[in-house]
Amino acid sequence: MEIREVVFRRDQRVIYDGLTASIPRGKITAIVGPSGTGKTTLLRLISGQLNPEAGDICVDGLSVPLLTRVELFDLRRRMGMLFQSGALFTELSVFENVAFPLRVHTDLDEELIRFVVMMKLEAVGLRGALDLTPSELSGGMQRRVALARAIVLDPEMIMYDEPFVGQDPIGLGVLLSLVKRLNQALGLTSLVVSHDLQETLSIADHVIMIANTRVAFEGSPQDMQLSEDLLVQQFLYGRPDGPVHFHFPASPIEDAL
Amino acid sequence: MIVEWIAGIGSLTLSQLSNVGRASLILIQAIVGRTNAGVHWRLTIDQIYVVGVLSLSIIIVSGLFIGMVLGLQGYTILTDYGSEQALGQMVALSLTRELGPVVTALLFAGRAGSALTAEIGLMKATEQLASLEMIGIDPLRRVVAPRFWAGVISLPILSLIFVSIGCLGGALIGVSWLGVDSGSFWANMQASVEFSDDILNGIIKSVVFAVVVTWIAVYQGYDLVPTSEGISRATTKTVVHASLAVLCLDFFLTAVMFGEI
Amino acid sequence: MYSRGTELSVGVFVLLGAFCLAFLALEVSGLTKRGDSGSYRLSARFDNVAGLTTRAKVSAAGVTIGRVVGIRYDEKTAGAIVDMEISQGFSQFSEDTSASILTAGLLGEKYIGLMTGGDPNYLVDGDIIYDTQSAVVLEELIGKFLLNMSSEK
Repeated sequence: MEIREVVFRRDQRVIYDGLTASIPRGKITAIVGPSGTGKTTLLRLISGQLNPEAGDICVDGLSVPLLTRVELFDLRRRMGMLFQSGALFTELSVFENVAFPLRVHTDLDEELIRFVVMMKLEAVGLRGALDLTPSELSGGMQRRVALARAIVLDPEMIMYDEPFVGQDPIGLGVLLSLVKRLNQALGLTSLVVSHDLQETLSIADHVIMIANTRVAFEGSPQDMQLSEDLLVQQFLYGRPDGPVHFHFPASPIEDAL
Repeated sequence: MIVEWIAGIGSLTLSQLSNVGRASLILIQAIVGRTNAGVHWRLTIDQIYVVGVLSLSIIIVSGLFIGMVLGLQGYTILTDYGSEQALGQMVALSLTRELGPVVTALLFAGRAGSALTAEIGLMKATEQLASLEMIGIDPLRRVVAPRFWAGVISLPILSLIFVSIGCLGGALIGVSWLGVDSGSFWANMQASVEFSDDILNGIIKSVVFAVVVTWIAVYQGYDLVPTSEGISRATTKTVVHASLAVLCLDFFLTAVMFGEI
Repeated sequence: MYSRGTELSVGVFVLLGAFCLAFLALEVSGLTKRGDSGSYRLSARFDNVAGLTTRAKVSAAGVTIGRVVGIRYDEKTAGAIVDMEISQGFSQFSEDTSASILTAGLLGEKYIGLMTGGDPNYLVDGDIIYDTQSAVVLEELIGKFLLNMSSEK
């Protein structure tokens, strides 16, 4: 997958100005960067929910911004996405949530649907929660159900939007090992957006760091640790000031007072 | 100063026009084109339950009370001219032509319209809409269209129920309590109410209101800023815009339908 | 995912709507009273129909038997021709039937009253009644009254 020279603006604010990166097939790629740099926006651009102002995004040889609505929906069937909040359908049970993509896109009979859903729920360890509604589950469990739903159609690629936010250490460990296992077992191209740096780097094969509307670093996690770049250093070690400023852009304080 | 003022009007007009344009696009995308009719129908039935059946109680209670108030007020006014017999006519005509469609649409905007906006808004805020898109389903088809059709089907039915209950309420007060002769009450009503003019026109009115109110509700829900503040603001907007639209449209519809008399 | 109860209540809801429509049609607008048994048309020529409107009642002995469907000016006789639809059930009006424009109450609406005579032949569709009594115009009445008062003095 290639991202070339993408420019994107929201209202007047420039989010990306010439972003270029490539995401290798079958590996776990981490997209990291300070808050507010539009990491989630990148996922939405890749899945075609947003269109860039300029530049091109190629997924498997297809240019996403140029696809028609029908082609786009076909492409999305080959993608899975795990949203920050899980985004389970609140009016459906856990089972129906996971079965939903199957019911919409396939003509499988009830028995087969049940079989597939059971397998996926078993994979995330929530087969017992079958008949509960999403509101009866904890945040971490909801995310695992959503993960089962995202992989139920056996996609070639899966995108995780901040999967580790607000998880206790156990939930975090569970999710980390799930992401890793799914990648190895199914050969999924995985894209993890996160600012939980250490955890993400521990499973990633490839890292793209976004800051100040561009790619600040691209390479393996080991290279990132060794990078001399001030921005990368600041981000890795959590220094309050550096190339990314502590202050919101403003005139000097002497003028304001 | 004046230039700024005029520019202000211009930008307001442009932004309102773009709102109307987006709302139209949403509606057209939602209801035109290929669909899975079976699934669609089931979803619509579910939504009729939510917006129609659950609004029944408020419609019945308000219909009854409005009918009774019309009975009381009408009687007081009509006795001054010694024509209490015309009470049935007065109650029935005001209900079928005006109060039925309008009040039902206003109540519907408050009860079901705001709920529609909030529900769709919440689905947007919790990324359920985006998630549908990722699964490869158009949320306009899956979420917006069934709710739109349910509104368009439910409101005229609610309006019919409202008018019927209102007439019974008027009869309850007029005949049972104030002692207007039951025969002349109903005979006068039947003599003056025309099925094609009054009742059909009332139904046409409420179909138009149904389209407008539901449209505004789903548009506000679909287009809102996905935060809790955005949802509450959009809910308010739904009620305000829908009510104003109903009242304005009512004037024009009345002028067209009954104007020449 | 879809409960039986939902379907059932939606069904009841729609039926309730249909029932209300029937109620409005039959009880409130009295739809059955006209049209289903058929009707025939009579006309009447009046000197003056002031205040009469289409859709006004036509009654005989106080019973509503039809409705005014049209009012037009007749140049030949310099009067007004009123077309009435009379229900098929009331077809026995003799040829010397008289028609008059009456008022319900002092300020009420105008309607037409038919009074049958003794002729053995009955009026049929399209006939015109010439034995009529015109609308009472209040101003004329008051004028006459004042005239009488002054002449008595």
